Amino acid sequence: MDKLKNTVIIGKRLRGFILSLALVFFVLSYALPCFAKELNFEAIVNSNKVSLGSSLQLSLNFGNVQNMPAPELPAIDGFQSRYLGPSTMMSIVNGKVSGSITHNYVLLPTKTGIFKLGPFKFEHNGDQYTSNQLSVEVLQGQVQSPAQTSSPSEPGINDLNERVFITMQAKKNKAYLNEDIPLTVKLYVNRLGIRDIQYPEFDHEGFSAGAFDKPSQYQETRNGVNFDVIEFNTSIFGLRPGEFKLGPAHLKCSLIVQKQARRRPPSAFDNSFDTGIFDDFFGRYETYPLDLKSDDLTFNILPLPEENKPLNFSGALGNFDLEVTVSPLEVKLGDPVSLKMAVSGEGNFSTVSVPRLKSENGFKVYEPQIKQEAGKKLFEQIIMPMSMDIKEIPGISFDFFDIQTGQYKTITRGPFPITILKPEKEEETKVVENKQVAPAAAVNEEKLGRDIIYIKDNLGRLKKGNDYLYKNKIFLLFQGIPFLFYLIIFMIYAKKKRLETDVKYARGLLAPRKARIGIRQAKKYLDKTETGKFYDTLFTTIQEYLGDKFHLSSKGITISVIDEHLHKEGVPEEVLTRLRDIFRECDMVRYASSQLTRENMRDSLRKLEEVIDYFQRRKA
Amino acid sequence: MKKINLIFFAAVFIALVSLRGALAQGTASTPGALFYQANIYYQEGKYDAAIHSYEKLLGQGLESGNLYYNLGNSYFKKGELGLAVLNYERAGILIPNDSDLRSNYDYAMQRLNLEPKFIGNYFEKAAHSLFQALTVDFLAILLSVIYIVLIISLILNLFISPIRRFFGWIICILASLFIIFAFGLERKISYINKTAIVISKEADVKFEPLENATTYFKLSEGSKVKVVEKAQNWYKIRRFDNKFGWVIKDALKKIK
Repeated sequence: MDKLKNTVIIGKRLRGFILSLALVFFVLSYALPCFAKELNFEAIVNSNKVSLGSSLQLSLNFGNVQNMPAPELPAIDGFQSRYLGPSTMMSIVNGKVSGSITHNYVLLPTKTGIFKLGPFKFEHNGDQYTSNQLSVEVLQGQVQSPAQTSSPSEPGINDLNERVFITMQAKKNKAYLNEDIPLTVKLYVNRLGIRDIQYPEFDHEGFSAGAFDKPSQYQETRNGVNFDVIEFNTSIFGLRPGEFKLGPAHLKCSLIVQKQARRRPPSAFDNSFDTGIFDDFFGRYETYPLDLKSDDLTFNILPLPEENKPLNFSGALGNFDLEVTVSPLEVKLGDPVSLKMAVSGEGNFSTVSVPRLKSENGFKVYEPQIKQEAGKKLFEQIIMPMSMDIKEIPGISFDFFDIQTGQYKTITRGPFPITILKPEKEEETKVVENKQVAPAAAVNEEKLGRDIIYIKDNLGRLKKGNDYLYKNKIFLLFQGIPFLFYLIIFMIYAKKKRLETDVKYARGLLAPRKARIGIRQAKKYLDKTETGKFYDTLFTTIQEYLGDKFHLSSKGITISVIDEHLHKEGVPEEVLTRLRDIFRECDMVRYASSQLTRENMRDSLRKLEEVIDYFQRRKA
Repeated sequence: MKKINLIFFAAVFIALVSLRGALAQGTASTPGALFYQANIYYQEGKYDAAIHSYEKLLGQGLESGNLYYNLGNSYFKKGELGLAVLNYERAGILIPNDSDLRSNYDYAMQRLNLEPKFIGNYFEKAAHSLFQALTVDFLAILLSVIYIVLIISLILNLFISPIRRFFGWIICILASLFIIFAFGLERKISYINKTAIVISKEADVKFEPLENATTYFKLSEGSKVKVVEKAQNWYKIRRFDNKFGWVIKDALKKIK
């Protein structure tokens, strides 16, 4: 009966389990397809109409998907695009789960007109997705940027590239080697908000280019259109003769664009209130990075003519003038004279080197100090008259190539008359000491040549390579000897100290030595058969030995002491018996005048030796 | 009897021939002969031959300060200033107080537009300047002498009681001297074993020991670096300003 009941219960449970499985299968089969293949790919824009200078948001929405990489947008006619980022959404409606991912892009119109966006095609995991097509109209309109709010109406410009662009201009495209060529890069902006403007950059292979000066700002009318202009100026010069391309110049900046408002029903307030402040506050404007590019320039760099080239020509190009002042004109021998030379004019000042004295004979000439100013290069040179015969400072000349006439020119100034006074001895010393004021110390300085000192004619101390003492085994072993020596000395010292201070140790150490002397003495008496003296010696020896050995009073050593003390020490009975025998025999002779035979004496001595030997071994 | 005579003469002949051969060989390869031969080459301006002879002598496992000095001069005259600096550095280990050597080293550095810069921290720099004029062997002997004096002081302290009053001071001074000189010796050995000189005209120091790795900085000929690690054909080096990088082995030569 129970068995039947159990079978019914198991059957019921099994049925419940199957029903649960069926329910789960049903729910999954209902819910899963929304994550599976039914993909929606839709392109949406937040507005179908946009004004030039405003931006537009394009959203590519992938429905029924949780993970999808951002598609790369193709070039769209009339727009520049920039990826903003993804947004995901998941919703459950009536138990139906749906997920979607949207990739957002900013579209910046570059010209007016009606443009088609899409259809966008995208392939992922072997599946091809195609979106719908959109139509967007770009209108000519005003940008309500903070800087441009009240700009007057202008003739229509339908292209963004015509409203913000850069130009690069050079003063000439034919120049001599090292000739300064002024270069200007201009940024033109028409009724647009621009910020984060960076300095222009350009390729300048074959040229040396200086840094841009601080830019200037002004307004310019170009083809009847008013532009705000930012002008960057620099100069370049050719490094090699030939035809070279310069640029194009690139300028990076950010365009302030108005976000296209989402479609909303017109409000009664729209025309009544200017909502710009609120829009700006809540971020209605956004920046869009721009990389503006100019056209490139071609230059023809000419070599300098070899004809009539001055011997000391150092490459100066331009149209220059030279001014020289000499001070003081009356100096003592060895005192410094300052030559101030100013080369002024137009041209490449980096090629201008110090004007030279026609003759340096009789002068010590120091390196000049150079200072560059706008349109002028200053040289201050210290020279020192070294002879009383000097009457003038020779002429100073400067060679340059005049780019206007295409000829070499030499400007000469001087000679400058000068009076040399004889120095007093004390003053000479002063000059030597005051080296920093004027480097006049080396009046008689000898110019020394310099070279390496000659080779050695002997080998010197020849040794094996890498054979150093710190690696030498004998040397290292030798280092152990002093330490061992110290250890031995210390042990001897410690033993000596102990003998002096530790009586027990000293007595124990001396006991066998004293016993040996006593035994030797006893042997002598044995040979002479002097029984009394023999046993006296025997008694004293054993008494002193035991006294020293166990740190007891020697005189107090008796049989009872032996029994009491040595028993505790664990001395075997056999040894104790022998000791008792020795003491008894000694007492018999010493107090009872017993006559013991020579054989007895030898026996007693043997016993003594055995006992002492036992104690010595026991210690070991 | 005739047979014995024949054998005797044959033996004498063989011995004489061998002796002549040995003598001839000896004159050609004795260190002194090689050195003087190299010096003659140098005097004649045959710097390659001089370098070859000096190197041959070094190849026999022998070295001397003068030998490295002359080899440095030969490389200098040949225009290989990196190798000249390397050999002057090697000579400096053995004859640090040689004024000719110092002058030539300074001039070579001047020609390379380099300034002698030390690689290491303050203490290492102090130890280097303090013991620069001492050789490794001299430092080892000095250290040994201090150690023996220390032992003698310990022994005297046991037996001579007046010494005990100053024993603490004596031990402190001797122990300090021992530590300072031991540090100096250790630094000197480390300097010898880890220092290398750039022998190529320019060496790229890279971030990784790979041919196509990014170049971190460049080293010019004659620059001194400290080798801190090795990996196949690369040395990891440290520059005077504590910048680390990898250089191909062929661009450098270690002092030892």
